[in-house]
Amino acid sequence: MAAAELLKFENVVAGYGKETILHGLSFAVPRGAMTTVIGPNGAGKSTAFKAAFGMLAVRSGRILFEDREITNRAPRELIGEGICYVPQGRNIFPELSVLHNLEFGGVAAPKGTDLKARIEAVMDRFAVLRRKARHQASTLSGGEQKILEIARGLLLQPRLMLIDEPSIGLSPLLVEELFALLRELRKGGITLLMIEQNAKRALENSDYGVVLELGRMRLQDSARAILSDPRIGQLFLGGGLSA
Amino acid sequence: MLPAFFILIGTHTFGLPFWLAAILGGVATLILLGLAFKKVMVDPMIHHGVLPLVIATIGLAILMKEAVREFYGADAWPFPALWATTDVTLFGAVFAVQSLLILATCIVVVGALQLFLAGTLTGRCMQAAAQNPAVARLLGIRVERMILYTFLINAALVWIAALLVTPIYLAKFTNGEILGLYAFIAALIGGFNQVRGAIVGGLLLGVIDNFCAVYVSSSYRMAVPLLVLIAVILVRPQGLLGRVEERTV
Ligand SMILES: Nc1ncnc2c1ncn2[C@@H]1O[C@H](COP(=O)(O)OP(=O)(O)O)[C@@H](O)[C@H]1O
Ligand SMILES: [Mg+2]
Repeated sequence: MAAAELLKFENVVAGYGKETILHGLSFAVPRGAMTTVIGPNGAGKSTAFKAAFGMLAVRSGRILFEDREITNRAPRELIGEGICYVPQGRNIFPELSVLHNLEFGGVAAPKGTDLKARIEAVMDRFAVLRRKARHQASTLSGGEQKILEIARGLLLQPRLMLIDEPSIGLSPLLVEELFALLRELRKGGITLLMIEQNAKRALENSDYGVVLELGRMRLQDSARAILSDPRIGQLFLGGGLSA
Repeated sequence: MLPAFFILIGTHTFGLPFWLAAILGGVATLILLGLAFKKVMVDPMIHHGVLPLVIATIGLAILMKEAVREFYGADAWPFPALWATTDVTLFGAVFAVQSLLILATCIVVVGALQLFLAGTLTGRCMQAAAQNPAVARLLGIRVERMILYTFLINAALVWIAALLVTPIYLAKFTNGEILGLYAFIAALIGGFNQVRGAIVGGLLLGVIDNFCAVYVSSSYRMAVPLLVLIAVILVRPQGLLGRVEERTV
């Protein structure tokens, strides 16, 4: 039987140049669930994602996916394993059309994949992408751009999606819609690992939570337990809980 | 400049027929100015930033120029034309067949390039790799390979340009310099991030240049492109057709 964890960090040390950011980070991501990573600014949350996706060298420790070591493997290989990564901010090509942006999600597809059909299916799911398929991607609103990035990631039918602060810059209503979409993806069998500043909202939508501080895992528990932990409320949730 | 001398080496030193020398010169250009330039200069240096690479490239250009002068001398060598060097009269104006051929080739090549870059997935992957290599990489686009394609296309364009232009300007070790300067100014005027811009800038520059030479003064001719450049940059820093680029921080 497959392990309960899909992704696992084991004593991961990584950083930029001489600076070490992750000081032996260990945590596990339960399969088929939605896990939110929270922690103060600069804790190393984004750095952990970059390390997992082969964008930053891991100096020691291991990262496992499906119990297989994936430490320091290239993004293209990780895509092949079924991992997709949606970084923070705007990660589209504004001058190309929406359709051509979407198409990039299939660049690393194995030979013989019917990308046309998959693009059609994704556009069926996200009507706005079909409606604006021929428009320049720069004409999309912030929320639509995030949807494009997620849709692009779905093209290869990933098993794990790493998504870094997707709600940044979106109105509260759009944030709700986005979280609803992520819950739906989870229901469809995709394991989600998300970083969120909006910790309370994100945890309310998640199954599990991981708290990072100074490049280490401080706490890992069910989202509900973290939400009701008074220490966490003080530290990271900005008083939102007590209100 | 270099492809022209590759071809001359083929015809002079090895006694090859022109067409064969031209093809072999093209292959040598692809390998030396495309592949080797990228692998030997760009790859090791790009980690140190763009400026050192630019300086190294200028150094390489000087080296190549002086090497040609060393082995081929400072004389201008005649270079066979691909097409008749006659003139034709069209609508009452006299055109050199050479110039028309250059214009036509330019249009076809640029059209084909645009079609490739915008109309094929590989072309769009090249655009993506140029616009945002980090995002391109995380989508699984082979950024390194796309960069190599860019260098190869670049080398091919240099080869075509050499075949077209050398019969007019003759093969001389300084060929690249003045033309390169004009091309650089034309691209700045037209807009650096647009192929169309470079063409419009080039045409504009050529027309202004010739009118000035005839009606104003031919001795101040070299100053004209620079004056046009200053005027354009003051009014439209992104160039006539250029788009303002956003940089994500
Ligand atoms: N590209 C980079 N180069 C150097 N330092 C960086 C880089 N990205 C992030 N850092 C530093 O690493 C630390 C952790 O950053 P990050 O992982 O982005 O934090 P967060 O938990 O807010 O996502 C911060 O101190 C940040 O300044
Ligand atoms: Mg971050």
